[in-house]
Amino acid sequence: MKAPELVVSATPHIHSGNSVQKMMLNIIIALIPAIAAGVYFYGMGAVRVVAVSVLSAVAWQAILQKMMGRKVTINDLTAVVSGLVLAAILSPTLPWWMIVIATLIMILLGKEIYGGLGCNPFNGVLVAYVALRLSYPEAMIAWTPPAGDIMTELPPLQVLRDEGVGVIWEYFTLKDLLIGKVAGTAGEGCKIALLIGGLFLLLRRNFSWHIPVSFLAGIAILSGILWLADPEKYASPVFHLLVGGSFLAAFFLATDSTTSPVTPIAMVLYGLIAGMLTVVIRAWAQWEDGAYFAVLMISTLTPLLDMIKPRVYGRVKASASS
Amino acid sequence: MSPGSFSGGICLSISDASANKPFERIIPSGVVTIPLRQDLGGICNAKVKKGDEVKVGQVIGESAGPEGASIHATVSGKVADVIKAYPHFSGGFVPAVLIESDGKDEWVGLEGSADPMAAIQQAGIIDFDIKPVPLAAKLNEAKSRRANALIVNAMDIEPVLSSRSRLLSERVQEVACGIDTIKSIIGAASVYVAVDKGASQAMSAVGSACGGAATVVGLNPKYPQAVDLLLVKSILGKEVPCTEAYCVADIGALVLSVETVAAVGRAMADKKPVVDRFITITGANGTGAKNVQVRIGTTIKEVLGHCGISVEGMGKVIAGGPMMGTAIANTETPVTKEVLGIFVQHEKEITGFDSAVCIKCGLCIEVCPVGLMPFLISGFSEKGVYAKAAANDIFTCFECGCCVYVCPVMIPMVHWIKFGKAQIMAQRSSE
Repeated sequence: MKAPELVVSATPHIHSGNSVQKMMLNIIIALIPAIAAGVYFYGMGAVRVVAVSVLSAVAWQAILQKMMGRKVTINDLTAVVSGLVLAAILSPTLPWWMIVIATLIMILLGKEIYGGLGCNPFNGVLVAYVALRLSYPEAMIAWTPPAGDIMTELPPLQVLRDEGVGVIWEYFTLKDLLIGKVAGTAGEGCKIALLIGGLFLLLRRNFSWHIPVSFLAGIAILSGILWLADPEKYASPVFHLLVGGSFLAAFFLATDSTTSPVTPIAMVLYGLIAGMLTVVIRAWAQWEDGAYFAVLMISTLTPLLDMIKPRVYGRVKASASS
Repeated sequence: MSPGSFSGGICLSISDASANKPFERIIPSGVVTIPLRQDLGGICNAKVKKGDEVKVGQVIGESAGPEGASIHATVSGKVADVIKAYPHFSGGFVPAVLIESDGKDEWVGLEGSADPMAAIQQAGIIDFDIKPVPLAAKLNEAKSRRANALIVNAMDIEPVLSSRSRLLSERVQEVACGIDTIKSIIGAASVYVAVDKGASQAMSAVGSACGGAATVVGLNPKYPQAVDLLLVKSILGKEVPCTEAYCVADIGALVLSVETVAAVGRAMADKKPVVDRFITITGANGTGAKNVQVRIGTTIKEVLGHCGISVEGMGKVIAGGPMMGTAIANTETPVTKEVLGIFVQHEKEITGFDSAVCIKCGLCIEVCPVGLMPFLISGFSEKGVYAKAAANDIFTCFECGCCVYVCPVMIPMVHWIKFGKAQIMAQRSSE
């Protein structure tokens, strides 16, 4: 009988089966309801944005990795997810070539130039978003009005900026904000769909609760303080939570593993600061929606926040470890 | 924190087909190979030479010091050879005695020393746990640090194994006798028996056998609860101070495997030395899962044959469990006192590692039972920055493997941590 060939390797000898591909597949599944709502309200424009974004992101990923002599990793689905999340934060009217430029920036300047997945200091999706926002400001805020009876063709935060707090609840009902029947980006509108997606990801342990909850809490806390101080001037926390990119950023952008901290306390601080920064930008800065800018900026704090370590079992202070 | 819990750890989704299967006796037929070092004590001195007739229980390797454990013949027959350098499964070479069985299974009893410490050393008892330390050394350490809590660990180190819980329910009288002996040696004030929360049968059995002398603690069988550091935390609510080496006796506790305690009971009551191991054998997907009482020196091949487990082509045979066990290179390797179980994988079940980059998902931190940042320590070790690895408590890691189990990019963190520890120790000793 032939002697068996035994494999010898380091421990452990079993694995949970978790993989980047599985985590990415979860994100794709979680985004489907939100994208579907976008397609329902904005029609073929949203379909086009999603298709161009996903296809070009995957193509750029393959081309750039080939050019850089790296292993082509489109099978891990990260490029699909990046393309999908990017599409969700773009206007459904954006020309196709701008999307193709955006996905190039996302994959090249957002990820590959730093060494690929896991090495990027900023979320590539947001790098691309900000690049477009600065390069093509008009195209980025050319909106499609949602299907059905509406009071205004502008997104809620634009109305807040232009016409003040007084009119917002006349123009928008709570129900419209929840189901996303407002002008906006292709995937940020339907809060119910985003919440379902977020809960699904939480259940599948793509991320822990710390970042999304603290991010939304950060928005609620600062907008609540401002609202209590001057309800004539500042919108209520409910409004701030249910408009713009609050939910999308909380569940799909701030939770990007590479650019967010890893320990519970650091994650909560990160989420709180990003949430508050969102309100600061909305209230006083040039941009009407601050969520995406806030998450991008707060990534710079991640290395600092990562210095907050968990409590180690039986740690001896000032021990013999010299 | 509520008793019986710790943060982190994982629920392994793996077959426990061996649970509640009674021990089957395996007595080897051909030649047994008995290495003369089977614990972290020193190498034993050979007391027999080629051609000698031996009986079961006869000392063939005498421990070098008073804190060692002697090694006994496990079959009766003729010494076929005494080898100077036999490959030890964890690396390195040790002397070994080969005995050809005559099939008669004739015994000699222990001399029966009145001093229980001497009896334990003569009976060759070690702590049958991750760190196979001779029991005499462990007891002396506990005595010198005035340990007053004895914890009998009847929880299996890894969920796929079930030999400890089974041993407790089958041999509760031996365990009770062992508890009495050890309790009087170290002067323990309290005795706890840690069992799986679900094992109500074992709980009541211990309760009646020990007559209230021992408290039975049912703990959630979350991996790696059965490791001594977490056991003392769950039962006594205290953490062991961890520096480069830690000692559970520092907080006044002595944790012993139930197999150890049963061996003490057997040595005291029946005057029998350690010649058997009580271990779980599990094949791929739980096939052939059995609990066996196997003589030390039996080849793993023979044990697997008894259980109907075949290893053909590519495969992995692991001494211990799937999370912390050592993959062995040869099925001719004998079962020794260090082997905590045998776990076999077929080719398609073998998981690999990857050289992918960490995506900082934080799962390893979430599951680490001792609050480390595994990806960070492993990264420092990989890059050779050992001072930072040490500053991030690399020595607190007991290599349970939870981090690698959940890692989406399959970084071999345990490998790098072991490597880092070895490098740091080598640097220290060269200074």
